[in-house]
Amino acid sequence: MPEFSLIIVLVIALALIFDFTNGFHDTANAMATPIATGAMKPKVAVGVAAILNLVGAFLSTEVARTVSGGIIKEGDGGVLITPELIFAGLIGAIVWNLVTWLMGLPSSSSHALFGGLIGATIIGIGTQAVDYNVVAAKVILPALIAPLIAGGVALVATRLAYTITRRDVGKPDGRGGFRYAQIFSSSLVALAHGTNDAQKTMGVITLTLIAGGFQAVGSGPTFWVIAACALAIAVGTYTGGWRIIRTMGTGLTEIKPAQGFAAETSTAATILASSHLGFALSTTQVASGSVIGSGLGRRGSTIRWGMAGRIALGWVMTLPASAIMGAFAAGLALLGPIGIVLDMVIGTIVIMALFRWSRRNRVSHHTLLNDIDDAGRVVNIKKTPRRPTRRGRGDRKKVSL
Amino acid sequence: MIDWSAFLIVSAASLFSAALLVSLYSLGLRLLTTAGRIPLVEPHEFTGAITVLSPKKAAKQVKRARKAAAANPLAPGLKRLALYAGYACFVLCGIAVLYGVYLIVPALHR
Repeated sequence: MPEFSLIIVLVIALALIFDFTNGFHDTANAMATPIATGAMKPKVAVGVAAILNLVGAFLSTEVARTVSGGIIKEGDGGVLITPELIFAGLIGAIVWNLVTWLMGLPSSSSHALFGGLIGATIIGIGTQAVDYNVVAAKVILPALIAPLIAGGVALVATRLAYTITRRDVGKPDGRGGFRYAQIFSSSLVALAHGTNDAQKTMGVITLTLIAGGFQAVGSGPTFWVIAACALAIAVGTYTGGWRIIRTMGTGLTEIKPAQGFAAETSTAATILASSHLGFALSTTQVASGSVIGSGLGRRGSTIRWGMAGRIALGWVMTLPASAIMGAFAAGLALLGPIGIVLDMVIGTIVIMALFRWSRRNRVSHHTLLNDIDDAGRVVNIKKTPRRPTRRGRGDRKKVSL
Repeated sequence: MIDWSAFLIVSAASLFSAALLVSLYSLGLRLLTTAGRIPLVEPHEFTGAITVLSPKKAAKQVKRARKAAAANPLAPGLKRLALYAGYACFVLCGIAVLYGVYLIVPALHR
């Protein structure tokens, strides 16, 4: 069946493209904070992120199993998802991913992927084909809870870091030393990103191979799948770096080394713990949650609710919006080979148009800002917070640090 | 079926590990500072986020750190102790990270 193999090849290629855009979209998650505090040179940071994403992808396959084995009931007693539907889901995910990126809306590549797949499955097979329990337990709930966990952890960690290193006013506190720590903590985030995000694409490719009958139902990703996904996400991460490097100078949110270190450690801990349990959470959301939490851990901070609401809206919208796109693409794909070709043509046109548009507007403020920076703006920190009055301390001479 | 205990595990594990790492590293920094070895790490590249540090200001910081170190009330032995304790904190922090990585890679303990 040559036709059948062709669609599988197409799906794999598309999945790798998605993986690339995922890395491209997410370089900032790991590297925005160390670059913002000057802990690492931007070019070095981007290179390190790419390498560690590559390594991280090889470390664990729990999340890939969640994607390939849970969300859509395949195999015995379930329904057969066809490669055409996966193809449609991927088109929906990629288009939504690029649209949100260009509009400067915070979104999550992972949710775009799941939304696209779910939408395509519902149109193609019916609402009974989606395992809503798994979707709720392993996708939606982690998406809501993980940023909160990360934020809470970051708040505690930031308080700890500041409390432990606090010294009397005017005495040097050595907090610049957190810059060294940031090199390691941000590397850990990049590694964690590889263990969670590269896995999602592996899961999709494995799902396709299972659907095509090349692999047993319930089996994990094979080595070449892992290697290809690792490579795609690493290249995406590296090429995504130019965006960050360009953002420099336009003014990132102010982040202090101690705060950045606490935020990165919390992000890495949350993602790694969740990856270990097979939760496919959004790394962007976790990193944003951490940055907000660590901002709140600093003295004199208040939340800008408008900004927080905008970010939350972007998060909530991603799943249904990409589901609609996936459903639309699936509707076309069900027309047969003509539909697939139509899907591809439309997808290519949209991607090319968006790309052209992005090149034209590449210095505009919004496209260059990344999600993490948006998250940083949620918290407003007074420039010179008042120290709490403690006896013997309140009347000391104030020295601006 | 929603496995609520898994969320509890994730939050507890993240909180514990992040708090541990941050505390160890901060304690290490604090001890170094106490020992009179105040780490002054200049940012690699000035971005919009960092207050720009002029060479004059940087020199002032160095001077202040030196002055603070000279005015350190600790006896030399105590200073050395604080320094070594600080290094020990960094080493422990590193070990904790490596152990965490070991825990999440199934290939290492199967």
